[in-house]
Amino acid sequence: MKYALAVHGAPYASEAAAHALSFADALLAGGHSIERVFFFHDGVYQGLGAQVPPQDSFNVDTVKRWQHLAAQGVELGICIASGIKRGVVNEAEQTRYELQHPTLAPGFELVGLGQLIAAINNADRYVEFPA
Amino acid sequence: MKRYLFIISRSPYGSSHALEQLEAAMVAAVFDAKVAVLFRDEGAWCIQQHQAGAAIGQKTMTNVLAALPAYDIEELYVCADFLNTYQIQTEPTLSVMPIHLPEQQALISACDVVITAQP
Repeated sequence: MKYALAVHGAPYASEAAAHALSFADALLAGGHSIERVFFFHDGVYQGLGAQVPPQDSFNVDTVKRWQHLAAQGVELGICIASGIKRGVVNEAEQTRYELQHPTLAPGFELVGLGQLIAAINNADRYVEFPA
Repeated sequence: MKRYLFIISRSPYGSSHALEQLEAAMVAAVFDAKVAVLFRDEGAWCIQQHQAGAAIGQKTMTNVLAALPAYDIEELYVCADFLNTYQIQTEPTLSVMPIHLPEQQALISACDVVITAQP
């Protein structure tokens, strides 16, 4: 089956990413496909490029895990409206708003909210991972 | 086309939850989806009358809600229990139907997609 996933929780503040990543891995291992992972609300922080995961805990580097998913052809779409107001910007938005640095991690892209709805419409199942 | 339900469960100005949920609801409607919105928990405060968002530099939630019919979003529901708990006085220009838990369950069952974004 085709799945659309949405992540609403910030990294390390919630279990959203851990659950979504494990679920996504299980989907691909089970022969399913993922239409898109959409990051919304505080979930947009998942795409922040300057994260340093805590060294002294069992937390893994979630950005690396997301990028591993992207390398398998899964699109990681960050809500552009939710993202830029929280400082998650790519080079185009950095230039547009005259900010000092782009902050978006490689593997993620900024997309419109329409991409959430399009993914849900194209998918058989929509699963969201709340904060 | 799928039928969407957006559940708003947090107060209008305490976080960007309500506004971002409504933005997504409007986009879904632009995609010609049939969209309903349910206010429950502290989200019921979104429909309280006499709000003045400008006082804290924000959009007034009831004004945003008043724009929903322009997007063909006509189905607005509020949890009747929370309406009572918080003694909310509904903004009179809005058409919001109070429903109890069994009706909320039926609504959720009847929709293809439920977007909650709640903890």
